Amino acid sequence: MIKVINPGLQTTVQDLGRMGYYEIGMPPSGAMDKYSHRAANLLVGNDEFAATLEITYMGPTLEFQQDAVIALTGGDIPPRVNNTPVSMWETIQVKSGDQLSFDFVKQGARVYLAIAGGFEVPTVLGSKSTYTLCGIGGYEGRALQTGDLLKVGDGMQRPVRVGTCVPKGLIPEFSRTHEIRVIMGLCSYRLTDESKDRFLSLEWTVTPEANRVGYRFKGERLNFVPREQPFGAGSNPSNVVDLGYPIGSIQVPDGVEPICLLNDAVTGGGYATIATVISTDLNRMAQIKTNEKVRFLPVTLDEALEARRVLNDRLNQIKQITNK
Amino acid sequence: MSDHTVMSPIPGVFYRKPSPDQEDYVKEGQHVNAGDILCLIEVMKNFYEVKAETNGVIERFCVENEDVVDAGQQIAILRVE
Amino acid sequence: MTRYEHGGDEFIFVELAEEMSLEANFKAMAITNKVREKQYPGIIDICPSNASYMVRVNPDLFHPEQLIQELRTLEQQVTIDDFEISARIVDVPILFEDPWTHEAVMRFRDRHQDPNSTDLEYAARINGYQSKEALIQAITDFPYLVSMVGFVPGLPWCYQMVPREQQIEVPKYVRPRTFTPERAFGFGGAFAVIYPVQGAGGYQLFGVAAAPIYQKEPTLPDFQDSMTFPRQGDIFRYRKIDRDEFDTIRMQVEQGTFRYLTKEITFTPHDVIQNPKQFSENVLGRLYR
Repeated sequence: MIKVINPGLQTTVQDLGRMGYYEIGMPPSGAMDKYSHRAANLLVGNDEFAATLEITYMGPTLEFQQDAVIALTGGDIPPRVNNTPVSMWETIQVKSGDQLSFDFVKQGARVYLAIAGGFEVPTVLGSKSTYTLCGIGGYEGRALQTGDLLKVGDGMQRPVRVGTCVPKGLIPEFSRTHEIRVIMGLCSYRLTDESKDRFLSLEWTVTPEANRVGYRFKGERLNFVPREQPFGAGSNPSNVVDLGYPIGSIQVPDGVEPICLLNDAVTGGGYATIATVISTDLNRMAQIKTNEKVRFLPVTLDEALEARRVLNDRLNQIKQITNK
Repeated sequence: MSDHTVMSPIPGVFYRKPSPDQEDYVKEGQHVNAGDILCLIEVMKNFYEVKAETNGVIERFCVENEDVVDAGQQIAILRVE
Repeated sequence: MTRYEHGGDEFIFVELAEEMSLEANFKAMAITNKVREKQYPGIIDICPSNASYMVRVNPDLFHPEQLIQELRTLEQQVTIDDFEISARIVDVPILFEDPWTHEAVMRFRDRHQDPNSTDLEYAARINGYQSKEALIQAITDFPYLVSMVGFVPGLPWCYQMVPREQQIEVPKYVRPRTFTPERAFGFGGAFAVIYPVQGAGGYQLFGVAAAPIYQKEPTLPDFQDSMTFPRQGDIFRYRKIDRDEFDTIRMQVEQGTFRYLTKEITFTPHDVIQNPKQFSENVLGRLYR
């Protein structure tokens, strides 16, 4: 068991997501930075789907009540075991009675803690991911609280040598300004050409509401092409007849502040979507903090698929390193 | 006597008071004890209470109420007596 | 003109029409049914919506461009003429102007087009009804097609099966509310909805549904197979009830004995589009026979 001494700001159990229920309005939830989630699991010998803890902005204090092999990946929130700094992106042995805690966040926003065997919580609709809005999955459907006791599962597939680490070249680095690649489209025909250009040229600032549901950006107003609204769409020029929202899609309610929808978002609604963050860059979105700057970079489908290939290749390299 | 810098551990919106119609947690020049709440930081609809780490006097706040602050940003100076 | 768009590298969004119509909705339903039957490799989600649909695919298993080619072909092949829908007709009891929704309505007056009236009074006025009672009658006289499910788990978008000129249309709130009570019954654009869970929302609020449409822990027989009750293609009849009936249903829900009154129906889009009024009468006759 692992005892939560202090839960941190928002620590939730996540895996690769609750897939296949989007049509009933159930978002996938799951780890926001899947690259880091997968790497953490590989470092402790788990299946990539095993549940990890997603730690946001501020780390928890956890007490291990059993010996365990763990790994920490993601953004840079420096971890300590019994107050001594330990490495991230490395297979670590902890002993019963050890306490894991964290310093202030340095870079990035989210850290993933994997434990050999995985965190054991009930599976709901095929996933252990926490969806707090409906109180589904994870630890009682909510973020961790003081006094919670986390069980360790038996999902370890192969032992990984303690001290195994991911080489520097495979560890993502995060700065305070970000370039996020998007495929323009969906209902982008609703924006004026001038506003489309402005969306891509502006440096946007992430607002404090940025969370697992979505990130909101401050910048300048964007304008929609004037039209007589189609029947059923609603009166605001940013409205369309309610439709499905892809994960990573960006909408601009009333033209005021773009919102990028993420893992716990609503699955559909009546706002025109103008672009979608490509799947590999959703991992990077997860590491962007409130008040940081984002530029959206348009790419083609082929470029998005190439980025996907590169990321898979990097994960395969981590797989090989942890398989030795 | 030495100055102790109070930093925000997280990014978010800085608040001097628990709610708009209430008094500031502490005034500049006021004595505080370790553990006293100095301000709130709101992020992801969570409110985090920033507490004094030592006894001392609040020399000044470095940010205005409702400013957006970064993680690690200096938000107040505490004079330790 | 149908538009095929990439939603990043995993989603394909297909807009069949910019405006809402039963034809577009049936077409989306017919195409997505075919996509389901075809069992293409790598398909993760198939989401029909009001006048569009969306497919999520693993692009490592099926190239999105190739999938678009398949979808274009299906669009050509599928007609709604020979398409049959097997669905449920459901009696959905609504308490209009209930105290809980009213409280939310009054709390967010500053976010509304008309702070000096209620949502129901405002909607009646802009739709040309003499009174809110007349609007309630128009809402409850004819059944609705569940044209899309989503937003949050189980929320049904419901499109009334009446001719265009008879459709009720209302704007959404100027700024969305931060609170909507669970089971609130609302209207936005040309759609009626029930909010499955408490949360934010921007639709005009008229009342509350007596029974749940979402149960995380199923206690009612209607939720044994799924946490969510509405399915696309269902036909909902919203029925005005009084406080006594509402309280009785709430008690049945508490005791785990409540069951929605439902009847099975098989119909074609043609039946509906040709004569919506006749179709409505048949549906209501069948439901309450």
